Amino acid sequence: MSHSLHRRGSKCSLKDDFVLLVTPAVNINHKDSGPKLWKILNIVTEVGPNNIGSYETGTIYTGVTIDDIRNNMPETPRVRCCFDSKDSMFEVLKRIKEEDLGLSITVSGLNDDILDMCQELDIKPHSVNYSFGIHGATEKLPPEEVLEVLTMCGHGMISKNLVAKAIDQVKRGKKTPHEAAVMVAQPCVCGIFNVSRAEKLFSKYIEK
Amino acid sequence: MLVNKELCIGCGLCIPYCPVSAITIVNKKAVIDQDICTECGTCGRKNIVKCPTSAFYDREDVTKHPRSIRKFFSDPTATHVETKVPGRGTEEVKTNDVTGRVDKKHYGIAIEMGRPSVAASYRDVEKMTMALAKFNIEYEPCNPIKFLFEDEKKGTLTKDALEQRVISTIIEFNVEKDQLVPVLQTILETGQTLDTVFSLDLIARFNNPTKMPEIPELLELGLEPRPNNKINLGMGRPLKEA
Repeated sequence: MSHSLHRRGSKCSLKDDFVLLVTPAVNINHKDSGPKLWKILNIVTEVGPNNIGSYETGTIYTGVTIDDIRNNMPETPRVRCCFDSKDSMFEVLKRIKEEDLGLSITVSGLNDDILDMCQELDIKPHSVNYSFGIHGATEKLPPEEVLEVLTMCGHGMISKNLVAKAIDQVKRGKKTPHEAAVMVAQPCVCGIFNVSRAEKLFSKYIEK
Repeated sequence: MLVNKELCIGCGLCIPYCPVSAITIVNKKAVIDQDICTECGTCGRKNIVKCPTSAFYDREDVTKHPRSIRKFFSDPTATHVETKVPGRGTEEVKTNDVTGRVDKKHYGIAIEMGRPSVAASYRDVEKMTMALAKFNIEYEPCNPIKFLFEDEKKGTLTKDALEQRVISTIIEFNVEKDQLVPVLQTILETGQTLDTVFSLDLIARFNNPTKMPEIPELLELGLEPRPNNKINLGMGRPLKEA
């Protein structure tokens, strides 16, 4: 599914938010893709993602380390992670391109930033999955300040009530923005929730 | 999911974690409304909710049809019994550089029913698929929703499916470029009759690697893409360029 699509928020709040997915195509280049995925996983962990996880262990915000995640990955691991700076995303793409592994790579983020990186690395983007927003009974949606946090989990595991609780706890000084961001990140089981971005979003609720 | 009433101490820690607000406290014990619960599994994850008495447990029928529909479309860690594929969707744009599933003569459409935050009943999903039936759409064969049709041509779903509710489910298909506007008009009009929301995706191919693909006719429908999207970098091999 398009779980890294439809992240809400202003361009300013999305500028340090990139999701990397590496996907072997079933019946095309899936066979023997395990060692290639491990190479990419090594690159990702060397550069340092903001979040990473696996269904086998959970994410680095649920009490496991990157080493735990690596050690429990299946033979053909999925690489799903996010980065909180254009520089780190660029470094990962540069090194993946140098390896020339032939696996499909998608990056979710601001169009302008992704195209910039592609031009600099002489990468020719193939297709885009555009988000054309939310429709239907939109009166059922929570407020935009809640949406911009919970849409960082595309599987819908983060509850609007948990985000509202986090905002309330930051406002009342019961949690720091970082603690609130980690609490909200935990239900996102695949590890594409950007904790740095959530922390910045929650920081605006600190009483001056 | 169910709560073991012998173990539950009614602390309410779990309540804000439920993505569909299915948990309440009744007589000092947590109770999960089984009609609302989508079986996403969040409340039972001990490293997340940290229920002090581990009071949550799975229903016996959670992986059996039809309750399994809720589980497999709502819990990202579950693999579909029907398709053997994890998740709610397909490889979509993620592998389009090697599958060529969306070529330069088509657009790929996905209607993500229930997303974000609202969840969806398959009664609403059927409203959408029935409205689309006039276009003789062929739904993406790898999408697990294919297994829920009673009559795909009419867009009707099975009775079992109609009783289920999920975090989200994806109606996924390709359209010829000249069909794009009428199909999207139908989607948007049908959206007005739903009791849920949907997120709308459109897959397009790059013609110029330095410029995002433009679809000017969508502006007439009031549709403008967000500034942040999901881009397949064309690094897969063998590359499908057509």
